[in-house]
Amino acid sequence: MSAAIVVNGVEIELDEDGFMIDPDLWNEDAAMALAASEGILELTEDHWKVINYLRDYYKQYQIAPMVRKLCQDTGCNLKYIYELFPSGPAKGACKMAGLPKPTGCV
Amino acid sequence: MKLLIGQILPYITVTLFTLGILYRLGRWAGARIVHNITLSPWLQTNGQVAVRIGSEAFLFRNLFRFDKALWAGALLMHFALLNIIGGHIVGFGTLGEEFAMIPGLGITPELSVEMSDLLGSVFGILLFVALLYLLYRRFALENVKLVTKPSDNLWLIYLLVLVGIGNIMRFVPAYHIHYELVYEYMAALILFQPVVHMELLESGFFLAHYLLVQILLIALPFSKLMHLFGMFAERYIVNRVYHDPAPGLPNIDVAAARKAGLGVPAGDAAEEGV
Amino acid sequence: MPEYKGMVQPQRATPDDMRKIHIEPVPDELKPEKAIEFLDQIRKKFRSFVMAMESCTKCGQCAENCHTYLGTRDPNNIPTNRAELIRKIYKRYFTLEGRWFGKLVGAEDISLDIIEQWYSYFYQCSQCRRCAHVCPFGIDTCEVTFIGRQLLHWLGITPKLHASVGAAMERVGNHTNLPKPGIVDTLEFMSEEIMDEFGVEVEFPVDKPDSDIMYIPSSADFLLNPYTLMGAGMYFTYIGANWTIPSTVTEAGNFGLLFDQYWTQRGNVMRLLNAAQELGIKKIVWGECGHGWRAAKMYIPSLADRPIRWPITHIHDEVADMIRKNELKLDPSKNYKPVTLHDPCNYVRACGLNDNMRVLMRASVSDFREMTPHGMDNFCCGGGSAILFDDPEMYQRRILLSKKKAEQVRATGVGKDGDGILCAPCSICKAQLYPMVEEHELGVEVKGLIDLVGKALVWK
Repeated sequence: MSAAIVVNGVEIELDEDGFMIDPDLWNEDAAMALAASEGILELTEDHWKVINYLRDYYKQYQIAPMVRKLCQDTGCNLKYIYELFPSGPAKGACKMAGLPKPTGCV
Repeated sequence: MKLLIGQILPYITVTLFTLGILYRLGRWAGARIVHNITLSPWLQTNGQVAVRIGSEAFLFRNLFRFDKALWAGALLMHFALLNIIGGHIVGFGTLGEEFAMIPGLGITPELSVEMSDLLGSVFGILLFVALLYLLYRRFALENVKLVTKPSDNLWLIYLLVLVGIGNIMRFVPAYHIHYELVYEYMAALILFQPVVHMELLESGFFLAHYLLVQILLIALPFSKLMHLFGMFAERYIVNRVYHDPAPGLPNIDVAAARKAGLGVPAGDAAEEGV
Repeated sequence: MPEYKGMVQPQRATPDDMRKIHIEPVPDELKPEKAIEFLDQIRKKFRSFVMAMESCTKCGQCAENCHTYLGTRDPNNIPTNRAELIRKIYKRYFTLEGRWFGKLVGAEDISLDIIEQWYSYFYQCSQCRRCAHVCPFGIDTCEVTFIGRQLLHWLGITPKLHASVGAAMERVGNHTNLPKPGIVDTLEFMSEEIMDEFGVEVEFPVDKPDSDIMYIPSSADFLLNPYTLMGAGMYFTYIGANWTIPSTVTEAGNFGLLFDQYWTQRGNVMRLLNAAQELGIKKIVWGECGHGWRAAKMYIPSLADRPIRWPITHIHDEVADMIRKNELKLDPSKNYKPVTLHDPCNYVRACGLNDNMRVLMRASVSDFREMTPHGMDNFCCGGGSAILFDDPEMYQRRILLSKKKAEQVRATGVGKDGDGILCAPCSICKAQLYPMVEEHELGVEVKGLIDLVGKALVWK
C-alpha cells in the first residue's frame, strides 16, 4: 500500500498519505523530492525557514509545534503558509519536513 | 375446518403465544444495560420517568414533535385498536352491558348495548381508515418507501383484512354475530368444554376473522409487533433518573483570589481592569 | 482510492497498524463466519442493541432527522436503514422469522460485501443520537454503530485515523502523540501569548503533586485551538485554583469510544485514574471535547476496574455554577462580534450540558443568536465520531455531511458580514468546522466556548 521514493540512492518509505515513515532518513534532497509530490516547483528561502523550524522543533520535542507558534516564530502568518504549502502547515509543511502525519482531532 | 379452527387451534395459539412472548422477553432481559446511555434532558424522579414513558407510549410525544401527520394517523390507529380490543374483551364479557355497570350514570342495559354497538362501529371504521393511511404512506412518501420491507406492508394489509372482516360482521345484518354466542363459546373454551357443535362456528366470517387473529397471535412474538413491549423496554434504557454530580471546586475562594490580584502582574494590582 | 463497489470508505489501517493495537486481522475468507461469531457474543450482552434489532417498526421518522441522509440522500444513511445493514444479518442468524422467511422480513446471508458495506456506512454515522432523540421508541442507532465498529475492529477493519490514534493513546495517553516535553513547551508558549494578548500572568502547572483540581484538556488544543487552552488557564488562575494538567493523560477525548470500547477506551480510563491517584487530587475537571465528555461522564463508572474516588465535572459546569453565583466578573462587550452556538451532539443529547453552555454564552457574549433547531434538537456538524478523514472521497463526503449544519449557520445571519463567530465547544467539531466553514463559505470563525469566557474575564 505504501510507496517509496529514492533519494541519492537511498529508498525512503512513505505511508499512504505520502509522509515519511522514518523521520531520521530526512535530508534536504528528500524535502525537494516530497515538494514535487505537493506540486511545489521551487523551494524558496521562506520554504526552508519553515521546514527547518519544523525539523528543529520536532527533534527537540518529538511533535509538531502549535500552528500559532509556528506562525509566530517564523514570522509567516497562516495565510502565507498556505501560499507556500498549499496543503497547509500540517499536511504540507510537516510532510516536507519529514515529520509524521499529525493525528487526532486535527 | 370448524374443529381445527374452533376447537383445537385456540389452545395451540395460547400456548405458542405465551411461550413465544416469554422466550423473546427472556432474551431481552438476558442482555444487559451495560453503560449509561440515558438521553438528556435528565429526569429527576421516577415519577418524571413514568410521565415521560407514559407520554411516549400513550400519546406518541416524539411523533407529535417531529411529524404531525404520522402522529395523527398512528395515534388514531392505536387508540382505535385499543378500544376495539378492549371492547372485545369487555363487551363480549358483559354482553354489551358494561356501561350499565358504571355506578351513578343511570345507563340502562339496553342503552349500554346500543352504546357498545355504536362505539364498536365507529372505532371499527376509524381503525380501518387509519390503517389505510399508514399503508398509503408506505407507498406515497419517499422516505417511508425507502425504509419499508415486504413484511411491513404485509402486516398492514393483513390487519386491514382482519379489521375488514370484523366490520362486515358489524355492518352487514346477514353476518351479524350476537354477543351471547361469543360469550358462551369463550366460556366453554376456557373451561375446556367441547365447542365444536356451537352455532357460532357456522359463521364463515367468524371463522375467517378468528383464524386470522390466531395466526397473528402465534406470529406476534416473532415479528415487529413486539414493539408493544419494546416501547417500554427501550424507553426504560434511555429515559431514566440521572443526577449530575454537584459543581463546586475544592478550596476555591474567588473573592479572595481577586482581592489578591492573582494573575495580574505585580504593580498593576491597583489599576482598573486589563 | 478508498472505495468499494461504489461505496466511499475511510482509508483503512494496515495489518501492521492493527497489530500495534493488539488486533490480528482476520483473513478475508474467514471474516463472514467470524463476524457471525462476534455478533452472537455481542447481542447477548447489549440490550440496547437487541432492542434496535427487534423493536423498530419502520415508521420512517428518523429519515428527515438525520444530517447524513439530509446531506447525502443516500438511502443507507437513513438511521433505520443503517441499522438494517446489520439487522438483516441478525434476523437471518438469530431469529426464527429470519431463518424461515428470509427476504420477506428483510433477512440476508452474510458475505464480505456486506461487511464492506458496514465499514462504509458505520463510519458515516457520526453517533450523534439525534435519531434516538426523535424515535418514538428511543431506539439508539448509535448503539448499533458502536457495536458495528467494534465488530469491524475485531475483524481487523478500522480506519487508519482511529488506529493511529489508538496507538498514540497507548504510547503517550493522548490522541496527537504529544510527549511531555512538547506539552510543557506549548504551555510555556501559551503563558507568553496570554501575557502578550491579555496582559495577565498565567502559569500552566504540569504534573504538580498535591493539586486540588486535575484539568484534562483536549490534546487538539495543543495544536489547533490555542484560545481554548488560554481560556482554561485564565479561568483557573482567575479563581485562584490549585490545579494541574497531567502529562500522562493530556486528553479529554477517548477515541476508544468510537471504535474499540473493550480495550482502547478502557486503557485511557485507567491512565486517568492512575494519574488522579498519583497527583493526589480532589476533583477532575474536563475540557472541551464532546465524545470525550460522554466517554468520561457516562462510561468511566462502567469501564473502571476500581471504585472512583473523585467527582468528575465539566469545565462548563463549574464556570456556569460560578456565573450563577456571581463570582466571575465577565464583560460581554469584549466579545462583540455576532456569535451562534453549535451544540455538540454529545453535550446536549448525552451529557445534559444544554443549559450550562447558555449561561456561559449569555454572560460572555453581547450578540448571541440561537440557530434553528438548537439545544437537544441540534444537528451534528458532520464530523462526529472522528469522521475527519482527509482522503479525497471522504473529504467530499464530509462536505455533504456538514451541509445541514451550514444551512443552519447561514440562517442565523452571523456570517453575513464575514466577521461572525461559530462557537463549537468540542475538538472534533472544531476540526470538522475549520475546513467546512471555508468550503461552505459561511463567513465565520470557529471558536470554543471557554475561549470566549477567557476573553471576557475582567481582572481588575
